[in-house]
Amino acid sequence: MAGKQKKMQRPSAPQLDISAPRSTRRAGKWTALLLTCFILALIYLGYTLISKAPLYMAKSGKTTYGKVLDRDGDVLFDGSQPLTNYPPGQFADVGNLVGDTSGQMSNTVVAKHIEELANYSFTYGNEAGDATLQTTLSHRANKTVYNAFGDKNGAAIAYNWKTGEILVCVSRPCVDIAQGYANLESMPSGSLLCKAFFPTVPGSTQKVSTLIAAYEAAGVTGVNALEYTCEGSWVNPNGDAINCHQAYGHGTQDLQQAFENSCNPYFAQLVQSGIAPLSSIIGTYTRMGYAVNGQKAETLNLDGITINPASTKLSDANNFETEWGALGQGKTLVSPYQLMLWQGAIANGSGSAVQPYLVKSRTTPTGETVELASVRRTPQLFSAQAAQAVKDVETLNSTHHYYVSFDVYSCGCKSGTAQVNDGGREYENSLLAGFCLDDRAPVAFCILIEERQSWDITTAQLARILLDAVSGIS
Amino acid sequence: MTKTKPISHPFLLLLVLIAHAAMMILVALSFGITAEVVKLACIVLTADFIGSIILQFVQREACTVDTVLLLVIGMSTIYQSCFGGLEFALKHFAFGVGAFLMCQASYLVTRNPYRAERMKPLWYALFFGLVAAIRFLTGSRSMWIDLGFITIQPSEFVKPVFVLICASSIRTQLKKASFLGIHFVPDNLLLIFCTGVIAVLQWWCRDLGSLPTFLAVAGFAFLLRFCYLREKISARLMIFLILCVIAAAVFAWKAAPAYVQERLHSDIWADMSGTGYQQVKALTAIAEGGWFGKGAGNGTLIRVAASRTDIVFSTICEEWGLFTGMMTVILVLFLPASILTVPPRSYYHSGLAVGVAAVFMVQMTLNIFGSCNLIPFTGVTIPFISQGGSSMLASGILAGFLKAAQAPVLTDRSTAKGGA
Repeated sequence: MAGKQKKMQRPSAPQLDISAPRSTRRAGKWTALLLTCFILALIYLGYTLISKAPLYMAKSGKTTYGKVLDRDGDVLFDGSQPLTNYPPGQFADVGNLVGDTSGQMSNTVVAKHIEELANYSFTYGNEAGDATLQTTLSHRANKTVYNAFGDKNGAAIAYNWKTGEILVCVSRPCVDIAQGYANLESMPSGSLLCKAFFPTVPGSTQKVSTLIAAYEAAGVTGVNALEYTCEGSWVNPNGDAINCHQAYGHGTQDLQQAFENSCNPYFAQLVQSGIAPLSSIIGTYTRMGYAVNGQKAETLNLDGITINPASTKLSDANNFETEWGALGQGKTLVSPYQLMLWQGAIANGSGSAVQPYLVKSRTTPTGETVELASVRRTPQLFSAQAAQAVKDVETLNSTHHYYVSFDVYSCGCKSGTAQVNDGGREYENSLLAGFCLDDRAPVAFCILIEERQSWDITTAQLARILLDAVSGIS
Repeated sequence: MTKTKPISHPFLLLLVLIAHAAMMILVALSFGITAEVVKLACIVLTADFIGSIILQFVQREACTVDTVLLLVIGMSTIYQSCFGGLEFALKHFAFGVGAFLMCQASYLVTRNPYRAERMKPLWYALFFGLVAAIRFLTGSRSMWIDLGFITIQPSEFVKPVFVLICASSIRTQLKKASFLGIHFVPDNLLLIFCTGVIAVLQWWCRDLGSLPTFLAVAGFAFLLRFCYLREKISARLMIFLILCVIAAAVFAWKAAPAYVQERLHSDIWADMSGTGYQQVKALTAIAEGGWFGKGAGNGTLIRVAASRTDIVFSTICEEWGLFTGMMTVILVLFLPASILTVPPRSYYHSGLAVGVAAVFMVQMTLNIFGSCNLIPFTGVTIPFISQGGSSMLASGILAGFLKAAQAPVLTDRSTAKGGA
C-alpha cells in the first residue's frame, strides 16, 4: 500500500503540475480558440445551408417553381403548371426577358432569381406554398409595343426616370416559352436573348455622349456658340473623309442646328478641333461607363441580369477611327439599356440617374412578402450643367422635329442610324433615345429597329405608341 | 481546499443509454419494430454496458472522454446501420469497439508523461517505419496497403504518432545544442524535419488532403513551445508569425499542382455531373433533409460514392436532419473540449491535447466544409463518424491521449529534476 502511494501522487483537479502551469493554461486557451473558430464557422455553415437550400433544390431540379407577375398581377411565367395551359402568345413579348426554367437562357429574370422562385423552404420542404416575384413591367404596355414592331426586329426599353421602375422591355424576335424548344434549330437568330441588354452600334445617338463630353470640357456657353461648316463631307488632317447624310451639306451651323441635323462633319470637327481635348472626352466617357480603348468598365446589373458596358476606341483626335467612333459608328457599341439610363440622367437634369429595377417584390413560399423596390441613384455620370444643357438641346430637337409624333407630350430625344457590319453583311439600324417630361409618362426610353426601311414604322412612331401605352401607369 | 464533486459514472452511463434509446425509437418509427431493429438496439445498448464495465478496470479519473466516446461510437453505429436501409454495420461497429480499446491502450501508454517522453525514439522509429510503409508498400502513389482481405491506410496511423512526436517536455526544450554558433533545440529541429518528410510524402502521393492536419498539429506544437520559452509573445512577433503563415498559404495556393488548382477554382454548379457531382448531391441532400431529416433509412445520398465517409455529414443531415447533424459534430467536439474542464496536468500532455484538438478540428473542417463547398473538397474523414477502420482506430488512439492529458500526474521515478 505504501509502495503504491510512492508510485502515484494524485493531486486534486485544480492543482496543476509542477513546473508549467502557465503553459498548460495556454494549451486550454489555444484549444478554446480553435473551438471558438470552429463553432463560429459551423454557425456560418448552418446559416449558409439554410439560406441557400432553395438554390440547391432549384438548381438540382428537385422542387417546383412559383410565378413571375407583372405590376398588375398578370402572369409572365408560371412554374407550377405546364405553360401550355396558358393561351398562345401569353408570354410572346417577355420570353427572352423573363425566361423559364428550361436552362436555355441564363440571363433572364427566372434564371437569376431561381432561388427565390423555388417553392421550397428549409422548414416546410417542398410542401411550402407558391413563391412569387412581382416585376415592375406592364404586360399590357409591353404587348402593345411588341406588336407595334410588326414584322421588324429590334428592342424597346423604357423606365420611369423618377422611380426607376422598368415599364417596358421587349426584344424581337422572341421565343414563345409556352411552345417550348422543339423548334430551337429553326428559331430566328436572337430569339433567346434580350437585345435591350446587348451593346450595339448606337449611330448618332452617340452624339449625346460626345456633346456631354464637350460641355464638360469647354463649358456650355462656349460649345453652344461653336460654328462649323458642313459641305456634305469633311476631310480630316489625315486625309480621311467624314461624310454627312446630307450630300449637299448643311452649311454653317451652330451646335443646336448641328444636333438637330445630326451632322457628322460638325461633330467630327468638334472632336478634332481640340476644344474638347481627347483626354477629356475619354474621361467623360469613362465616367459614363464606357470601356474606352479596351480598358475594363463595370458591368451593369439589373436585378441580377448582367449588361455589358458600352465600349469605344479613341486613340487620336486626327484619326478617322476616333472621329467615327465619337459619332457612334465603327467600334463604338452601346446597349439600349445604357442609352436609356443616360437619358434618365439627362431628364432629371442632375447627371445621375435613378437606378432602374425590374423586380418589385417577392413573396416567399411561406407567404411572406418582401418589398425589394427602392429608389437608388447611380454615381454621378456627368455634370448637372451638362445634363441640363443636353436636356435643353434634346427638348428643342423634339419640339422642332418630332412635334407630330410627340404632340401631346413634352419630350426630348436624339435619333440615330447605325451602320452595322454583321459578319460581312451590312445593314442599317434605326435608334431613338429620349425622355418624356410629362407627368403622365415620366419615362426615359430607347427604341431600336433593325434594318428599318423607309416604309417601315419609325422609331418615333414606336416611341409614341410606347408613351401612350405607359401613360397613366402609376 | 474545496473539492469538486464529480458526476458519478453510472449517471453518465444512463445519459448515454437514454441518448441511444431515443435514437433507436426514431429508427423503430422509420422501420417498425423488426428483428433487425431489435438486433441493432440490443448490440448498441449492450455495448454501452460492457464498455462501462471495462472502464471500471482502467483509470476512471477522466470519464468525460470515455463517456463521449461511448456515445459517439454508438451513434455512429446507428447512423451507419441505417443509411439507405437497415443493415447492421458490423464492420463499423467492430472498428468502433477497436477504437474504444485503442483509446484505453494509448491512455495507459501516455498517462505517464515521463515514460511517454522517454519512449520518443520509439515514436520516431514508428513514424519513419510508417513513412517507409507508405513509400514502399502502398500501391502506385496511393495511401493504401492492400492485404487482400483488408486494406490499411497507414497515413491515418501517422497522425497519432506525429502528435506524440510533437508533444515535448520542458526538460527536452531546455536541452540546447550548438552548431556553427547557432543555438537550437534538437527536438525542434527533428520536428521540422518530420513535418518536411510528411509534406514531401503527401506531395509524392498526390494526396494533399491530410497535409493541413499535419501542418496544424506542427504549428500548434511550435506555438506551445514558443509560449513557454518566451512566456509572453510580443505583438510585433505575433504579426510577423501571422504574416509568415499568410505568405506560406499564398505560396501554397499559387504553387498547388494542377488537380488541386482545379478543385480550388471549380464551380460545382457548372459541372453538376462531373467534378461537382458529389458536392451537388451532398448539398441537395441537406436541403431535402431540412431541420429533422427524411427519417432513418429514407435517404438517397447513400447511392453516391463516399456517402459513408467523405460526405457523411450530408448523409446524416439527409436522414436525421441538419439539427441532428450539427449536434453530432458538436458532440465530437466535446472530446477536444474536455481539456477545458479538466486542464492537462503537464506540459507534455498539453502538447498531446492541443495536437489531438488540431487533428480532430482540422479533419472535421476539411470534411464538413469541403463537402458543403465552402472550401476545396478533400477526402478526409470525420473522427468516429465516417466509415473506415484505419481512421477509426487512429481516432481511438488520439482520444486516449486526451484521456491521458486529464489523468493524474505520476512522479518520475528515474529523475526528480525538471518538469514534464
